[in-house]
Amino acid sequence: MTPEISIIGMLMGNLPSIIGIIIGGLCIAVGVHFVPVGGAPAAMAQATGIGTGTVQLAAGSGLTGLLAAGYMYMTLSAAGTPGISEIVLICATGAVGAMIMITVTMLVGNWVYIYGVGVPPASAKRDYDPITGDPQTPYVAAGTVGQGIPTVCFVSGAIGGLLGGLGGSLIYCMLMWVNGDPAISSIFAIGVFLVNAVLPSYNIQGTIEGFHDPKFKRLPKAILACFIASLLCGIIAVIIPSGAMLSGGA
Amino acid sequence: MDPAMGMGLVALMGAAATVAGCSEDLESDIGSQSNPNSQVQLAAQVGYPHRIFNKAISGEPPSNAMYCAVGAGVAMVLMSESVMSASPLIAIAIGAFVAALLNGVFSTTSYLGRNASQTRFNQYVYLDVLRNQILSLMGHAYITTFCIVLISYVMWNQNLIGHPFPFPVIALIWGLCVGAIGSSTGDVHYGAEREFQDFKFGSGLNAADSGNITRFAEAGVRSSMDNAWFCSKFGGPVTGIAFGMVVFLDNWRSTAFSGWTAVVVGVVIVLVLVIYNRKVETYARKKYGPFPEYAGDIEA
Repeated sequence: MTPEISIIGMLMGNLPSIIGIIIGGLCIAVGVHFVPVGGAPAAMAQATGIGTGTVQLAAGSGLTGLLAAGYMYMTLSAAGTPGISEIVLICATGAVGAMIMITVTMLVGNWVYIYGVGVPPASAKRDYDPITGDPQTPYVAAGTVGQGIPTVCFVSGAIGGLLGGLGGSLIYCMLMWVNGDPAISSIFAIGVFLVNAVLPSYNIQGTIEGFHDPKFKRLPKAILACFIASLLCGIIAVIIPSGAMLSGGA
Repeated sequence: MDPAMGMGLVALMGAAATVAGCSEDLESDIGSQSNPNSQVQLAAQVGYPHRIFNKAISGEPPSNAMYCAVGAGVAMVLMSESVMSASPLIAIAIGAFVAALLNGVFSTTSYLGRNASQTRFNQYVYLDVLRNQILSLMGHAYITTFCIVLISYVMWNQNLIGHPFPFPVIALIWGLCVGAIGSSTGDVHYGAEREFQDFKFGSGLNAADSGNITRFAEAGVRSSMDNAWFCSKFGGPVTGIAFGMVVFLDNWRSTAFSGWTAVVVGVVIVLVLVIYNRKVETYARKKYGPFPEYAGDIEA
């Protein structure tokens, strides 16, 4: 067997895993757009959203979900390699873990804005909150573009956490299908997660309030970029462990 | 594992996480790391030289992830039978000490480099600032790393929880998580309130006032120690509560319940938090009312 044929064979044999990694990457890319991040201005109560960077928050929540998913995978794999139904449960566990992390962070962030800084949460991108219908602009401090995390941003952030945790867990499960080693899979899943969290942040350019923000409409570009990046990551993820096995290294 | 033992471990992890979150936030407040650093950096450039410690090594999540992964890596090596089979507590303490030394190296080079590059704005390198505050930075970094490596050890140890990820990777993820939480919660108290205490409470920070940080303290010139004193009253503890809640709630639901029940319990927790956040938001709008400067058509 020539090396070329064996690599193609490996890729074709692991096609479901590559597709899963791409779907996971796309979930992360979409999830990052939902997370309301205000960057440095939000840390000075000058912009609506959570006062930190896009990638950092998405990674913080998504990877917390990955820890829960990794444990669940180990528990379920005691009865054999997990199938589709088990993977759905593992991804749900990871998604909920990420949602808990991000909702707790947003809630405590609002405590700080309200009790520590003395400003009510308000969005500057919409006159009225799309979920509660509350007027927003009268509550925006002069010279700022909003502050805190109003309900629409909170719900958007929870959806972002869900998608991030789901994507990270799905990538981990797919990598476990390929190599079966939690150590390699976890590190590679963190890498793929970061790739798909960094690319959409160019769309966001520092701040986004959530799904009601006009920047959310740039989503298709991020999906295309992350599709290509995840495809490459998927191919590499399959070739490295399988290549090691072919050459007798594993 | 015995359920009582499992719940005890979850409680221990939650307590350690609370301490870690608090010390992580205070460490970043003393060093002005993360987003509030932009104002400390800007202050001298817009004519307000100061004696605040200035270290933006990186965002808080990557730097804490690095300290925790280094701490766990050192502890793992010391505990391995082929090296010295050290007891876990000693190994974790030494690992956290190595991480604190790294923090010291990064803090020193960061402070010297940043302030030296701002000489043209009359921002000097104050050796007493460096000498007095570097140890408190390292001390807080030690506490954070110790607690997080301890949490990771409890998760990783096969006789306790037995998580499949490698020890340093678990520590890296929790380090990333505590940094993300500290940067999102406690740092706002420092960046939006303590750095701008000259402005009226609750007035918001007009973008035109960026860089005009408060440079004089209750007595004398303000230092980063004064900032830690102030933030330890609110910003630090709430960061601890946030990280403690994340670690406790996430582990509690997977320890006390299993399978889909754990997922449903997690969703219920999220829904309760959404409703509670709405209550807090409504309270703030009623309590503070609209800004008096607002002159638009929309009725509050």
